[in-house]
Amino acid sequence: MAKGYWCLQLHAHLPFVRHPEYPDFLEEDWLYEAISETYIPLLIVFENFLKDGVDFRLTMTITPSLANMLSDSMLQSRYYNKLNKLIELSEKELWRTQNTEFAPAAEMYETKLKAIRHLWHSYHGNILNAFKKFQDLGKIEIITCCATHGFLPLTGNDSAIKAQIRAAVKDYERHFGRRPRGIWLAECAYRPGVDEFLKEEGIRFFFLESHGILYGTPRPKYGIFAPVYCPSGVAAFSRDIETAHQVWSAESGYPGDPAYREFYRDLGYDLDYDYVKPYLHDDGVRRNISIKYHRITGKVGLTEKAPYIPRDAVNKAAEHAGNFVFNRERQIEYLRDALEKEPLVISMYDAELFGHWWFEGPDFINFLFRKIAFDQNTFKPVTPIEYLDMFPKHQVITPSASSWGDKGYYEVWLNNTNDWIYKHLHKAESRMEELAKKFPDAQGILARALNQMARELMLAQSSDWAFIMTTRTMVEYAEKRTRQHVINFISLYDQINENRIDESFLSGLEYKNNIFPNMDYKIFL
Amino acid sequence: MAENPSSKIKGCVSEVVNIDTTGLPSTYNDTKIVILPRDPVWLFVYWEVPKAKIEELKNACGSDFDAARLTVRVYDITDISFTGDNANRTFDVSVNPNSENWYINVGEHNRVWCADIGYIVAGGKFISVARSNPIAMPRQGVSAITDEQWGLLKLEFDKLFKLTGGNLSSAELVALMRARWEQITNLSLPSSRGALPSSSLSSMALPAQNREHPQSQHKNKNFWLKADTEIIIYGATEPDAELSVQGKHVPLSKDGSFTLRFYLKDGEHSYPIEATSSCKTMQKKITFVVKRETK
Repeated sequence: MAKGYWCLQLHAHLPFVRHPEYPDFLEEDWLYEAISETYIPLLIVFENFLKDGVDFRLTMTITPSLANMLSDSMLQSRYYNKLNKLIELSEKELWRTQNTEFAPAAEMYETKLKAIRHLWHSYHGNILNAFKKFQDLGKIEIITCCATHGFLPLTGNDSAIKAQIRAAVKDYERHFGRRPRGIWLAECAYRPGVDEFLKEEGIRFFFLESHGILYGTPRPKYGIFAPVYCPSGVAAFSRDIETAHQVWSAESGYPGDPAYREFYRDLGYDLDYDYVKPYLHDDGVRRNISIKYHRITGKVGLTEKAPYIPRDAVNKAAEHAGNFVFNRERQIEYLRDALEKEPLVISMYDAELFGHWWFEGPDFINFLFRKIAFDQNTFKPVTPIEYLDMFPKHQVITPSASSWGDKGYYEVWLNNTNDWIYKHLHKAESRMEELAKKFPDAQGILARALNQMARELMLAQSSDWAFIMTTRTMVEYAEKRTRQHVINFISLYDQINENRIDESFLSGLEYKNNIFPNMDYKIFL
Repeated sequence: MAENPSSKIKGCVSEVVNIDTTGLPSTYNDTKIVILPRDPVWLFVYWEVPKAKIEELKNACGSDFDAARLTVRVYDITDISFTGDNANRTFDVSVNPNSENWYINVGEHNRVWCADIGYIVAGGKFISVARSNPIAMPRQGVSAITDEQWGLLKLEFDKLFKLTGGNLSSAELVALMRARWEQITNLSLPSSRGALPSSSLSSMALPAQNREHPQSQHKNKNFWLKADTEIIIYGATEPDAELSVQGKHVPLSKDGSFTLRFYLKDGEHSYPIEATSSCKTMQKKITFVVKRETK
């Protein structure tokens, strides 16, 4: 009998970035890198669990915007071309690095990239189907997220909040063949009452930052080590601080180990220009190309980094997985005694941490679930639904408004770099509701225009843009995206009101900003 | 009706940010005010007062409007059905006549607010132009942490609270809570366990390893007693000072405070605390000697 339970939640998300109007677009790399470094490496780990009979459980958000990109044929074929080019380079690299200290790293890349292509082939380029397979097998629980990662507590009206959730639920059904049972609120941003809208869509649980529950009313009896029910009856699960730190902390977290791969030393800068140029973007500017031959080494400059030794890094990942399991056993034993009930420890991370930032992250997960399955009996990994089915009785509290951003509230998305967006977003939100009410049964081109308005509004609402404005990197792109979607929205609004819908303009937007092919503006009613 | 300090500063970030809003309307010609919560004490307010509306007011008020000041009036409407004149508390924030938004510190936790945009005209009369949505601020919730597991946390929070004058925002507490976990994992654990650095050990591993082995304890679970001791050392100095405890460097929080938790075993233990000023010319030292005896 397990003394307690552990839930791993990975949040996989990227904003909708898709530019058919350009043959080559820099920001699309976010998706291509995440596919090669995180999504497929995780799937390979899952496939091997299955082959080796390792029981595992994890919960994973695949946000609607990410799902729309992963299922988009244009992005799929662009990714495939990128991957093939990278494989071509990795083959050349085998020869160039022969008999050098970089040979093991070069061999590792060539092998890994080919395994990635193999998996890509076996799902015919749509890896959503791979995730769906593991969900159907009961190994992972895929949850949804606000349709375009809209930051709900700063949204202007209820109709727009409902629409973010309804569009998400509908899109989830399209990809996964059933309704979602859980949701990740974008940025973990919650305010009391949001759970009512989740309830309406049949969603049973969501996640919160630790203080969302710790500061709840009344006081949570079991702290963050048991879920609570919101007044609506939707369950809220919150983050364990300790496991967050073991992985996230810049100082003491695992990913900073000297044996691990150094993210910032990239071949895109190291190789001879003429040799690497075919693998750069069309503008020929040196950038990261995702092949990196150095390890973190220690607190030394980028030029002082030592060669990466894949075998050492994998061993380190195994050691860290062992340490993580040991600590969970102690933590859960301790909590079991202190709480006098089976605790639930919830570790939640951005999925892209595993593989993209922490290159060995998927190896860590691989060792982790094997050790949990075979080396201990103290705790069991579960999904939130499994836990709720086992323990249906929980305290009812109203969680506190919170987010997982810096300082724990909304400041990252509301400060002097981005506060200007809310005036425009709120106006668009109220205009969307106004037109939905005015045309509750639109047909033909009017319905198309209203649906596209809904898409433009939702794309403008992505919390990613406000976040990027705060971080002050790639700001121009984020500002441009916000502006452009608001401007598109206003143009359509004016055209509809003046009864002069420009079909070629509309078709252009439908082609470019094609998120949610089944969009129905009536979700704003 | 006290003047709110937030009228003196706009938000906390003073860096100038250039924002490109090309192509966006500068106004929607609405007459409105909207408030958004930023954290448990700061509100963001934006408004639109069209020129036509100002003209209308000028005509209605005549010369009384000459020196009119654009003002946000903030109402505490906690637990009431607000009718316009029954607020629990009201305060005014004078805003720049050309501004369209402002950050306001409400100075109190766990209250519900709404705001009017308007003008204070000759004679001090407030003319409201528009009223905002109500907003319940995110909870500031230290007192919620009371169950057994978090008892220690609460103790430390209380101390941190006193150290900083008792008016920490919830956001700062979250930051402190995080900093505290880092300090604990970095400093309070024995470094001899296993090949890993002490910082990667669970803080929960500490009590466990100092008790009996978990398995043997499991067998005679019918009746048992466990007790152990830890010591918390806390204090504050100049934020830019260098601090060491038992000869080891201790990072200070932004406000110069620090808190450490050690396992306390039997025997007499000395905890010398030394602070050195940033110019290295001044030093202060306090030493605690603590004795534990188990009978």
